Amino acid sequence: MYIFKNALRCITRSKARNILIGIIVFILAVSACIGLSIRQAAENAKKETLEGLSITATISFDRMNSMNNMRQPTEDGGRQNFDRDSFTQMMSGASALSLDEYIKYSQAETVEDFYYSADISVNGDDALSPVSNNEEETNSSTGSQGFPNMPDRNGKFGNRVFGASSDFTLTGYSNEKAMTDFVDGNAKITQGAIFEEGTTEFSCIISEELAIFNSLAVGDTINISNPNNSDEIYTFTVVGFYTDSSANQNSFSSMGMTVNDPANKIYTSYNVLSSILKQSEEVSETLTDSNSGREYNTALSQTLNATYTFADAENYEKFCEDVYTMGLSDSYTVSSEDIQNFENSLTPLTTLSKTAGYFLAVILIIGIIILVVLNIFNIRERKYEIGVLTAMGMKKTKVALQFITEIFIVTMLCMMLGAGIGAVSSVPVTNALLENQITAQQERLENVEQNFGRPTDINQGGGFNGGGMNMPENNMGGFGDFISGIPGGESINNYITEVSSATDLTVLMYMLLIAIGLTLVSGAASTLFIMRYSPLKILSNRD
Amino acid sequence: MSILKLNNISFSYDKTPVLKNISFEFEKGKMYCITGKSGAGKTTLLSILSGLANANEGTIEYDGKDISKLDKYKFRSNYIGVIFQSFNLITKFTAAENVVLSMDIAGIKERNKKKKAIELLLSVGLSEEEANRRVLHLSGGQQQRVAIARALSHNPDIILADEPTGNLDVDTQNEIMKIFRQLAQQNKCVILVSHSPDVANMCDEVYRLQKN
Repeated sequence: MYIFKNALRCITRSKARNILIGIIVFILAVSACIGLSIRQAAENAKKETLEGLSITATISFDRMNSMNNMRQPTEDGGRQNFDRDSFTQMMSGASALSLDEYIKYSQAETVEDFYYSADISVNGDDALSPVSNNEEETNSSTGSQGFPNMPDRNGKFGNRVFGASSDFTLTGYSNEKAMTDFVDGNAKITQGAIFEEGTTEFSCIISEELAIFNSLAVGDTINISNPNNSDEIYTFTVVGFYTDSSANQNSFSSMGMTVNDPANKIYTSYNVLSSILKQSEEVSETLTDSNSGREYNTALSQTLNATYTFADAENYEKFCEDVYTMGLSDSYTVSSEDIQNFENSLTPLTTLSKTAGYFLAVILIIGIIILVVLNIFNIRERKYEIGVLTAMGMKKTKVALQFITEIFIVTMLCMMLGAGIGAVSSVPVTNALLENQITAQQERLENVEQNFGRPTDINQGGGFNGGGMNMPENNMGGFGDFISGIPGGESINNYITEVSSATDLTVLMYMLLIAIGLTLVSGAASTLFIMRYSPLKILSNRD
Repeated sequence: MSILKLNNISFSYDKTPVLKNISFEFEKGKMYCITGKSGAGKTTLLSILSGLANANEGTIEYDGKDISKLDKYKFRSNYIGVIFQSFNLITKFTAAENVVLSMDIAGIKERNKKKKAIELLLSVGLSEEEANRRVLHLSGGQQQRVAIARALSHNPDIILADEPTGNLDVDTQNEIMKIFRQLAQQNKCVILVSHSPDVANMCDEVYRLQKN
């Protein structure tokens, strides 16, 4: 106890020295607090948002991984050879997951919800032409766009056409949740209504553009056919029109393929699509190409898109592991655009966090060096006092403890003061730095867009509005706000622009650890000197 | 029976002999003076007696126990009181705080140490105001009194004083010597190291060290 009292007394009786140490520790504390707060804000923003997010994920074939597996090192250790033949053989044998397999993995306990959709390519009849800017394409609705090297010059076996490009995409949804464009507001009904969920009736909705292009009204019927077999016709009742905000963006960018144009998408329920697939299978034929000898089946085939939703990131991470124990091949991978999009949105904050980390490290190193040097000077200056105390019978360890206590008290007081000031200023400072970071990021992207003359995919991370990701409400704690890029800047990310709280208990704990660390390091230097001193020598020299 | 006994003590600095075969005995209730010319080894002997230096040869017995086998820190803080030539007080502390600190180091359990310290300081001739003044603001004589009070704070059997009157005027010197005499009368063993014949004359026994 007397050591503590003595330490306090020494602090108050040596104001100048302790104020100098205090100022250094205070500056260190404010800087450390702001640096740690920025890092913590980034961590909190990531953690809390991911916890509050409804995450969607898909399972897809991991082609890149398979390609990497096909690379073989050369003997001289130079560039790796790629076994293209093995890869092609492997890919031709590979198949997409079936619906049953997707459903099987949806049984994982971490999966909150599961939905799916499937696409098939179809053609229209004479009364239904795809929306197109090209006159030839508009007149090609009977599936006559044969590819070269097809069965005959026109790619036809009577009414069978293989590899013909189709005009429309027919999409069947398992339920309303699967209709993410409508859920997210990218698409909306303008006339009529969406078909009943899970209906088996051949009802569909078409784009308003397609309706105008073909002078269709709600309640009209349309005929679509199998591109491989024009005799295979399915009749739908149009129950509604929709608009898709992405259709305008793709007005001139569908690469001449009308099937890719969002205006040429026809939506129905998966039950209907499944029924079509079944019927198509029943009437399908297998034909042989006389040139290549390869066999073709005329049945329609689907492209499945299955989506799993998770309550939070933790469940998603667990699913990523569980799905392989449930039998998923290593050739497939689980991925979530939501996570990637969110990480992209954190770019400015993460960059700032990294910078803050380096800054913190530099500040701490400089601070420690200054404190150690100051303490060494302090000890040398107080050598006589150490000699007196030890001559009076005070053990050197106790003398060292008293000196460490002095450093600790000064450090703690200044750390507390610095942490307080740092906590108050961390939010405006973080937000100001973040704003600069975002401005720099946006300017860079704007420059890229100007250089390209149009929005680009460079650094495009996607926004929070897409992908079925639902952001938590405003009370997220770690951060407060997002921006949606600059007006008209379609490709610019949605960034976290503001943190509402930065200094929390974790930061304060780190501050305490820093204070203890600084005390121990500078105290260790003091202790080394104290243990070396001999009281007799000190006092003799003074005498 | 002697409280402190030196048996053939020898000490040398870097092979230069300073003390050779010194055998002294000190008893309680007496005032001793160790005298000699400059360089005779007076202060060195005091350092050995106070446990700050170790003799190269010979033993020192405190109350029949070899002090080399005692905890030196405890020996210094509890069994002896040392008054240094230059007082060696903590200058940023008050006189009373210096005395209290000595009691703390000795581990004395006293409810009101400050009160006890002030009583001690009053007993060596300081006023209460002076007792609460920082040492730096006290005169040499007053600092010497503080050093004596500090040496007495843990009630040791032996008081060692190195040139206790060296920096003092004659009147103050006499007053300080009176205090030492009183301490000897209180059954303390007072050992003074001094080259002053006046001081030696006031002591009960004188040990004279000869150079070489």
